[in-house]
Amino acid sequence: MSESRWPRRQLLTGAIGVGAGAVAGVGATLGSQRYAHADEPAQPDHVEFHGAHQAGIVDAAPARSTFVSFDVLAADRAQLTELLTTITRRARFLTAGGTPPNPGITAPPDDSGILGPQVPADRLTVTVGVGASLFDHRYGLGDRRPTHLRPMRTFPNDDLDPAWCHGDLSVQFCAPNPDTVIHALRDVTRATRGAMQIRWKLDGFVPPPRPSGTPRNLMGFKDGTANPDAADAHRMDQVVWLGREAGEPAWTRGGSYQVVRLIRMRLEFWDRISTAEQELLFGRRRDNGAPLDGTHEHDAPQYAKDPVGSAIPLTSHIRRANPRTAKTASSILLRRPYNYDRGVDAVGDLDMGQLFVCYQRDLAAQFEAVQTRLIDEPLVDYITPFGGGYFFALPGVRDDHDHYGSALLA
Amino acid sequence: MRRARRTAVIAATALLALAGCTGHDGGEVALTVSRSGCATEWHDPHGGEQTFRVHNVGINTTEVELVDPANGAVYAELENLGPGATRPMQVTLGRGRYAFRCLPEDTDAVTGPTVTVTDGPKRGAPAIVPVDEQVLRGPVDTYRSSVQHAFPTLRRDVRRLAAAVRSGDRAAARRAWLPAHLDYERLGAAYGTFGDLADAIDRLPAGLPKGVHDPGFTGFHRIEYGLWHGESLPALRKPADALSADVAKLVTQFRTERVDPNDLPLRAHEILEMTLQFELTGEADQGSGTTLATARANVDGTVAVLDALRPVLRSRFRGLSAADAALHKLRTLLDAQYRHGTWTPVDDLSAPQRRAIDGAAGEALERLAPIAALAQVRRAQ
Repeated sequence: MSESRWPRRQLLTGAIGVGAGAVAGVGATLGSQRYAHADEPAQPDHVEFHGAHQAGIVDAAPARSTFVSFDVLAADRAQLTELLTTITRRARFLTAGGTPPNPGITAPPDDSGILGPQVPADRLTVTVGVGASLFDHRYGLGDRRPTHLRPMRTFPNDDLDPAWCHGDLSVQFCAPNPDTVIHALRDVTRATRGAMQIRWKLDGFVPPPRPSGTPRNLMGFKDGTANPDAADAHRMDQVVWLGREAGEPAWTRGGSYQVVRLIRMRLEFWDRISTAEQELLFGRRRDNGAPLDGTHEHDAPQYAKDPVGSAIPLTSHIRRANPRTAKTASSILLRRPYNYDRGVDAVGDLDMGQLFVCYQRDLAAQFEAVQTRLIDEPLVDYITPFGGGYFFALPGVRDDHDHYGSALLA
Repeated sequence: MRRARRTAVIAATALLALAGCTGHDGGEVALTVSRSGCATEWHDPHGGEQTFRVHNVGINTTEVELVDPANGAVYAELENLGPGATRPMQVTLGRGRYAFRCLPEDTDAVTGPTVTVTDGPKRGAPAIVPVDEQVLRGPVDTYRSSVQHAFPTLRRDVRRLAAAVRSGDRAAARRAWLPAHLDYERLGAAYGTFGDLADAIDRLPAGLPKGVHDPGFTGFHRIEYGLWHGESLPALRKPADALSADVAKLVTQFRTERVDPNDLPLRAHEILEMTLQFELTGEADQGSGTTLATARANVDGTVAVLDALRPVLRSRFRGLSAADAALHKLRTLLDAQYRHGTWTPVDDLSAPQRRAIDGAAGEALERLAPIAALAQVRRAQ
């Protein structure tokens, strides 16, 4: 490393030129291979950006995501509005796809180029939420805070790292391919540089069904079997979307409380306990996801017939989370979890687990009620929540003239 | 956050009996169990890999085991088969005699007819002679008395710690902290039995809204935090006295507390699971830099459990000597970090030293883990 900086930089410039060509070549190959799969169900190439609600909430989770928490640096309300307008503009372009403008020789390229010269929509979704801290003194929004929006609580089994908690804004990018997610993240952070800064970020992935049904978490269990039907719009109005809510500011209509919990799984420990013990901890069979009193994944557990927990222990995860009584029906929420991989920990064990995301109309009556029932469940020995936050997913961007948070900032 | 106190997650298990009828279904044998018997219709048995689809057509949750009728050794089992449920039992059958045994909740076991396999491989899946509460009584007694034997030293050292804190001599208090803490850590196996007192005595600040400054942060690590973070000694009198009181309470409570026999096999690997997670990562350290000393004490605690279980494991666990060897290796590596009266803080280890210790701990854990499964309490009758 004895060369001066100038020659190295010139060298790098040349090398990048070659590399970019090579990358584009690989991309083209992958693309044609991908379309060669004739058995894949045909899907529209983009997810509609405009609407009463944001995308990326009730639509099925594609294979890849990144969840990013930002702190806002905007100096005042006008700059905050500008920030949200910029995010809107970029999200609108990225989710539709197209050709980025070419600045010619006047500037570095507008686009990172990782998706090639034409940006495909690739079913990208961008979902924006606001955290409680955005409603502090900085932007004069104190009286517009959604009623239940507070900093995430510390639950007794948590081991929260402040560097991985909270944030002013949440942005979740989801797409079937990881390069689409990274491309969108780079685009949005670049366009907003100086107005917001990443606080923490975690990438997610969802495996395909193995062999069928609900995808499995990293503990080997199907996860999400009992979710309410996200395709049922009426049900989503009951569970997820705020309507004209008593006690909530009017701007919240069409939005949803978003809870994200970063949950480390102790996978080495987990792999050292018997299948029978694993099944009793969850209350479901590992092989096909059936409740322990049932035969098939979607059999409903019959708790009334099992009052002492003979088949499904009273302390098992599914029974605590959703006791299926009339009284607890109001705590049902919509989960949209991803797995995460954060490398290895200090002792060389895998730092993997769940990037848990859920949506609801009422934080206290839904997520917090469920999480309170789960306090000290036996499963806690194998999982450690280390971060996350409470956010409010903004109402959708209605049309080309609208932007994120328009009602909030009006 | 609390330390793991994994209690055996055993479902409560329901009533009556079972019967059987069988049928072949594409290489699988369908069995139904109900109150009139236990898989009485398993005809035409064959060796090799088999899947039994066991359907509980009765009204009670039951366990179903495939056993060697000569000695009751279990080849395969289905726990908590609920009324109406069908579950597969997969097992490789060698030549020999087999019977199904049904253990319905709250009533006597029912054993189905003996069948003989005459084809297929000579040896099939290994069987374990089940461990019941009776078998574990001896190990539990051994373990209980080892804990009780250690109590006077723990009480004495905790009192010395409190006295040193009261004396106002920080160096003396720091010197008194480690022996007392290690006395407690050597009891590792007892976490589950100690209940809420285990939290009061040895909790970490995680899970408390205000962390190390939370009033709920108590016990050894609270005092450690104060001693190594320049808190005034008078401010530590209260936590030190509370620790003495909690330990005294523990000693009294333990006399009458029942040790769940299932705890022992679980603790065989669980003590070191916690060591890996909290001590070898350094996460438990509140300033003293002694997590390797704690790890060493946890190895002693694990050996105490293993020694208590040894009579039960000798005939059942082929991996016993390998587990002993792995523990010995870990112990030797840890002992090498105790020099001139002090323990190396985990962060001061070189990367190769650290990998060697973490690897040895991981290996010991893998070798110990089968004990929880094979010595789990199974019903005899």
